[in-house]
Amino acid sequence: MIFDRQAPGVRRFLGDLLRDDAAADEGTQETFVRAHQRMSSLLEPGKLQGWLFGIARMVFMEHLRRKRRDGLPQGDDEPVQVDAAPTPEAALLGREADQVLDQALAGLSEQRRAALLMRLDHGLGYDEIASALGWNLQKVKNEIHRARLQLRVQLSGYLEGST
Amino acid sequence: MSRHLEAEELESLALGAQPGEPALMHLAECEGCARELAWARAERNLLARRPAPAVDHLWTEVARRIATSSEQGRSLERRRRAPHWAWRTAVAGAGVAATAAVLLIMLRPATEHAVTPIPIAQQQRHEAPPGPDAKTLAALDRAESDYRDAAKVLEEEYARLRPALDVKLAGRWDETLTRARTQLGEVQKSLVAQDVNARMRVLDGYAAYVRSLRNAVLQSQEANP
Repeated sequence: MIFDRQAPGVRRFLGDLLRDDAAADEGTQETFVRAHQRMSSLLEPGKLQGWLFGIARMVFMEHLRRKRRDGLPQGDDEPVQVDAAPTPEAALLGREADQVLDQALAGLSEQRRAALLMRLDHGLGYDEIASALGWNLQKVKNEIHRARLQLRVQLSGYLEGST
Repeated sequence: MSRHLEAEELESLALGAQPGEPALMHLAECEGCARELAWARAERNLLARRPAPAVDHLWTEVARRIATSSEQGRSLERRRRAPHWAWRTAVAGAGVAATAAVLLIMLRPATEHAVTPIPIAQQQRHEAPPGPDAKTLAALDRAESDYRDAAKVLEEEYARLRPALDVKLAGRWDETLTRARTQLGEVQKSLVAQDVNARMRVLDGYAAYVRSLRNAVLQSQEANP
């Protein structure tokens, strides 16, 4: 069943974007209701996940617009600093790293975060991400690249502090 | 040295894709690409090791909403397939004919009666207003005929749907329709074929009657989806 297979990914994606469990639950439900209504627009069944994420992102954007209209706080973008330090992978597996990751994700703009998560958390190809987000391939590459640089700045800071 | 690996390739490797021979050879000799791959793997691992969120509790609401929207969709489809086109077409046709008649009356050239100055003695002979022209009368006839046809179609539709209506609701609609019919009949009684204003009042009466019938039919359809 599609829900069983895809809902955990969609829920996690929305949880990462919304950073609010109740809103992510609601967004997941909304995504699957809409997916059911629009099933005929899924042209390539092999790209179901990207298609669902595209709907989820629309749901997220609508949520964001409502929040902005209601004047609630929201995430922001952060400047990028390139880091060239070496990367001991093992050091990133501690529990604190999860918190650092969480903070780092929160520091990314919504669209950058969406692109990064689709790529590295959910394994979507660049073309699927482009299709889901309505971007061209170059923008997908740029946004993922910048997101990863931002992420690396945060993670490097953690690594330096831990060594 | 072979070419550096693209970010997309490195990410794919971090996601579990098997590197080809050239990529393996390059990674072995290129410190930069090897470091990038290590970063991509670290990022991927950090993201992927987070526990999967629980979603079982979400399904019931999704199923309920899908079922509701499906039922609404079926109801709309049934309505769409019902032979409503007949009365809708008739009502629309009557409306168009009535509008055409009104426009024709309003747009009649005023110059017909004002071009040549008429001597006073002659004016007295012409005091009675000129009767409507043939075009106007024909348009009025057509509009009235279309309204009659629309009313007939709607009456049949209402008669078909009425038995399934709630008794009280049907009674209320019967009263409304009788009232509209009576008003129309009264206007028709005072009708003088050449009097444009009287003819327009008849059209108004028909419009009110057809409107009531249409509402009765719509409500009956909603009550019997």
